[in-house]
Amino acid sequence: MAGPSNEKRPWVGYGFLALAVLLLGTGSYIGLAVAPREHYMGEVQRIMYVHVPTAWSALLCFTFAFVSSIAFLFRHDWKWDSRLEATLEVGVLLNFLLCMQGAIWAKPTWGVWWDWDPRLTTTAVMLFSFIGILALRRFVDDPVRRATWAAVATIVAFADVPIVYFSVKWWNSLHQVQSTPQTVDGPMITPLRVNAFGMLSLAIGLITLRTRLAARRLQNEMAPPLPERETSSERVAAAGGEA
Amino acid sequence: MTGGIVVGGWEFVVAAYGITFSVLGAYAVSLIVRVRGGKGREEN
Amino acid sequence: MMRQLFAATHKDLLLSWRSRAQASAVVIFGATTLLLFSFAVGPNSAALRQNAGGFLWVALLLSSTLALAESYRAEIEQRALEGLLLLPASPRALYYGKALANWLQLLLVGIGLVPVMIVLYDPGSSNLLPLVGVLALGTAGLSAPGTLYAAMASQARAQQVLLPLLLFPLVVPVLLAAVKASSLLLLGDPMGQAGSWVLLLAAFNGVFWPLCGLLFGQVVEE
Repeated sequence: MAGPSNEKRPWVGYGFLALAVLLLGTGSYIGLAVAPREHYMGEVQRIMYVHVPTAWSALLCFTFAFVSSIAFLFRHDWKWDSRLEATLEVGVLLNFLLCMQGAIWAKPTWGVWWDWDPRLTTTAVMLFSFIGILALRRFVDDPVRRATWAAVATIVAFADVPIVYFSVKWWNSLHQVQSTPQTVDGPMITPLRVNAFGMLSLAIGLITLRTRLAARRLQNEMAPPLPERETSSERVAAAGGEA
Repeated sequence: MTGGIVVGGWEFVVAAYGITFSVLGAYAVSLIVRVRGGKGREEN
Repeated sequence: MMRQLFAATHKDLLLSWRSRAQASAVVIFGATTLLLFSFAVGPNSAALRQNAGGFLWVALLLSSTLALAESYRAEIEQRALEGLLLLPASPRALYYGKALANWLQLLLVGIGLVPVMIVLYDPGSSNLLPLVGVLALGTAGLSAPGTLYAAMASQARAQQVLLPLLLFPLVVPVLLAAVKASSLLLLGDPMGQAGSWVLLLAAFNGVFWPLCGLLFGQVVEE
């Protein structure tokens, strides 16, 4: 994975992106051209081949963000903060796309853009939660505080996700039947699986590159020390930053 | 909806795939450009 | 630890009492919000009555951002936070003291808003005592994460927008459960569902009071 050094070319990141293009191209082709039409939902069902992989990748991003937060609070190693920044941003992007795909799927299926489906609604709440944390990072200038507070906020937000899910499920249970298809069989599994790996590969590639950018920015922030004052960020950097 | 079966809908599929991949593609390109741009300065 | 806790709570409550003009302003803000909802919905008494619980809690949520931000004013304006941390009090005691004080204040705001709600929306006045119970659990759910986030927001840029931005998505379960429970209590609960929503509120509190207390130390230490 990318670290704070910029000497080597980001082959890992580029590699994952290239793999992603290959997998997603293949999977989407199969899903759109080769896989059979679903009986009740027709062509619209094909959205699932990109929607479900996006969902899994988004969730993985946020899970890794949660892990990075805990790792940062325990180890005070800057690379975990860079990873947090990257996984938050990529996760929010995927999350946003998820909401959009959900709406595009819902309109022809249910006639409305939004139907308060528990999973999609939880996704929307998560989107706002984690955008808030990105905003928090933007509004805090001190790198140590920014990293610590973002980690704390991510842990809290992540802990909330299952609670939000169950609340909305309960709240909506009086009106709603499960609206996304549950069973996937035979020829539909292949494009789903290929795209799932493709999306995962894409996420990893994006996170790798974004982590590098975050690490670079941290280095620029802490690089030229002003002689007349020692900031807390340099104390931390001197103590454990380059470990 | 006609008897519970959704008719047509390719435009929705195209929209979903199109927006997803163009947004992700644009983001990937922006990252690549930024990574390479900074690296040029580092090597100087 | 308990003594520190009591002292911290006492300090925060005393400070609020001394600035009670500001506290009453929060209640007036909440009442104004309730009034605005009536104008937004129109003189449709059925719709107003149906959604009375919802309006009450949104008004309370909006008011909470003012009250929570206010609770850190002394720490910020007089740089009291550093002073507090120099004392041998643990950050955890500071957190729980402030969170408890905030809880009490929010509960009082909520109780103050109930008569306004009854007058404006006419949902009836049955089950008022259980309603106070729901208010207690709901405001507790707002206070725990709110006190943590207000600590961050008060020291960051754009603090007025940061607190609601962070808090509102987080407390969606509180809003859902509190509104449901309140509506059922006010309008009638033929199937006895209010209890399960109360349980959800209790579970939310059960998760976030410990979690936020655990993390508060990270937020205020330098």
